[in-house]
Amino acid sequence: MKKQKTSSVEKHHMGQTASRRISNSFIHVLLVVISIIWLIPFVFIVLQSFRVESTWQVGYVIPQKWGFDNYINLAGTDFFRWYLNTFIVALITAALQTIIVLCMSYTLSRFRFKMRKALMKFMLILGMFPGMLSMIILYRVLKDLGMTMENSIPGLILVYVASSGMGYYVSKGFFDTLPKSLDEAARVDGATRFQVLKKIILPLSKPIVIYTVLTAFMGPWGDFVFARYVAFGTSEGMNVAVGMYNWLNKDQINSCYTMFCAGGVLVAIPITILFICLQKYYVEGVTGGAVKG
Amino acid sequence: MARVKLTDVKKIYDKKVVAVHDFNLEIADKEFVVFVGPSGCGKSTTLRMIAGLEDISEGTVEIGDTVVNDLQPKDRGIAMVFQNYALYPHMTVYDNIAFSLRLQKESEDVIYDRVTKVAEILGITDYLLRKPRALSGGQRQRVAIGRAMVRDSEVFLMDEPLSNLDAKLRNQMRAEIILLRQKLNTTFIYVTHDQTEAMTLGDRIVIMKDGYIMQVGTPTEVFEMPENLFVAEFIGAPKMNIIRTRLQKDAEGYFVTPFGAKIRVDGNKGSALKERGVYEGEVLLGVRPEHIVLSKQNESSIPCTLEVNEMMGSELHLHVVTDDGSRMIVRVPTMDLSDKTRSELVAGQRLFITFSGKVMHFFDPESEKNLLV
Repeated sequence: MKKQKTSSVEKHHMGQTASRRISNSFIHVLLVVISIIWLIPFVFIVLQSFRVESTWQVGYVIPQKWGFDNYINLAGTDFFRWYLNTFIVALITAALQTIIVLCMSYTLSRFRFKMRKALMKFMLILGMFPGMLSMIILYRVLKDLGMTMENSIPGLILVYVASSGMGYYVSKGFFDTLPKSLDEAARVDGATRFQVLKKIILPLSKPIVIYTVLTAFMGPWGDFVFARYVAFGTSEGMNVAVGMYNWLNKDQINSCYTMFCAGGVLVAIPITILFICLQKYYVEGVTGGAVKG
Repeated sequence: MARVKLTDVKKIYDKKVVAVHDFNLEIADKEFVVFVGPSGCGKSTTLRMIAGLEDISEGTVEIGDTVVNDLQPKDRGIAMVFQNYALYPHMTVYDNIAFSLRLQKESEDVIYDRVTKVAEILGITDYLLRKPRALSGGQRQRVAIGRAMVRDSEVFLMDEPLSNLDAKLRNQMRAEIILLRQKLNTTFIYVTHDQTEAMTLGDRIVIMKDGYIMQVGTPTEVFEMPENLFVAEFIGAPKMNIIRTRLQKDAEGYFVTPFGAKIRVDGNKGSALKERGVYEGEVLLGVRPEHIVLSKQNESSIPCTLEVNEMMGSELHLHVVTDDGSRMIVRVPTMDLSDKTRSELVAGQRLFITFSGKVMHFFDPESEKNLLV
């Protein structure tokens, strides 16, 4: 009787294991397929960037002649100026936005003041409207301030940084999980609120700080739509996306297509390196804030 | 000089919930005062108001001769130990203890001297380079105390520092806190919900309930002369037995008739009752479990049935039920019992218990105040 019982438990167990294996295999196959679809454009661009035999679009993928010509040709254009513009905008935005977001999140997590909840809800609702809606008026404002065309860099930074306080959710959620008694102990020990944030909270929030920096950097780094509105006319104020977009017009596409691909690869490099180095923190940041918050 | 004085201190949350009502207390320099009470009684809130971690809604808090209501915690000359230790997880024990000194911009040499001295006193020298997560609960608590000690503060605040420790460690740490107090010789304010801690540590105990002070006194005073029913039941374990009965008087003096027994009130207590104008009427009679004894059947004994016999080692806690269904606890030292009597103390056994007229406490059934205070 006892043996029979055991064997039925065993059968059940084996059944479970088998069904889990099947579902795991299915999930893996699906993920592999998705990854391939996902990677095709990247592989395509990388391959095109090494194509030397022609500069226009062709009907095949693998280059017949390989070389770095397209990369070398980039030097003869304004590409590296745009690249630098983008880098400056992204770097300054990342720095300012990180400071603002972290201070905002800490304040909302730790201080209790009138209208706190109302403010949080207000920002949440405001964040639901697409940013595009404000584009025309922002353009007007920047134009009046003289921050378009060749002076677009400070204008872009201003716009990217201005609303950054609204992105407080993830880091506030993370800060909420840190015991308040740590703040209190530090305050009794003689720390000011800012010292508490700097010396206690931030060192404990590495994943969320890195997540904030990364997202703050990536926004301006890859932005096209808004930059296109503000930075036009002259090469001086363009970011890399806007500048390179000009190569895709009817007149230039045949001579610049492979160079465009080479530029695309160079744009992807820093962000890829950053991600590879920091992906551990990035995942911790996203899940930490979301789950515990 | 670190006298602490609270005058009419009130804490009101959201303009409606009053957590602490008109708290008045003066704590002398170098005194060890314990705030004790059930959870939600406002003891921690009061401590946090003294520390500056909660705003004071009304009233004033003075430390030394300064009103500290509007001072930041760091400017109040206090050190605090938290219930959950609140050690900085990313710093070593050394850095945890040194944190406040670094903020004061002390030189690294001074910091080294003071941290190592504190570590020596607390016996944590070997762990100085460890992170808090590599420490046991007791060690963490020592570090937390060390962090408070190193500041050389005038007032030492402790918010249930032992409640996260297991029972054995708690006893040990309690003794260490007593020793520490002797070494530091500073003012201590200690919050706990554990009456044993309060009784063993405090020079004076402040017993609180629902934001009100129920009694302030030395451990002996609150134990022997509880001002009200709440204090009487809260202090002492197992808690005091309360019997609703009639206080009566005849030619020989006062007597009570709990559960049909007739027990005479001690002469001194009788005169005290008379002095206070208490004559006859319904009272709540309080008798501590250790003051009840097993007796033979007679006029002054209460018949009851043993329900549970808890063997505590040096004593037995007998849970008995009287004939009208009331429950009482009797605490009997094991040494006082013969083997025969002990073997008879099984559930269902019929017993007779009594107590002397000297150990009674009388409370007004309405106001619950002690009639002899």
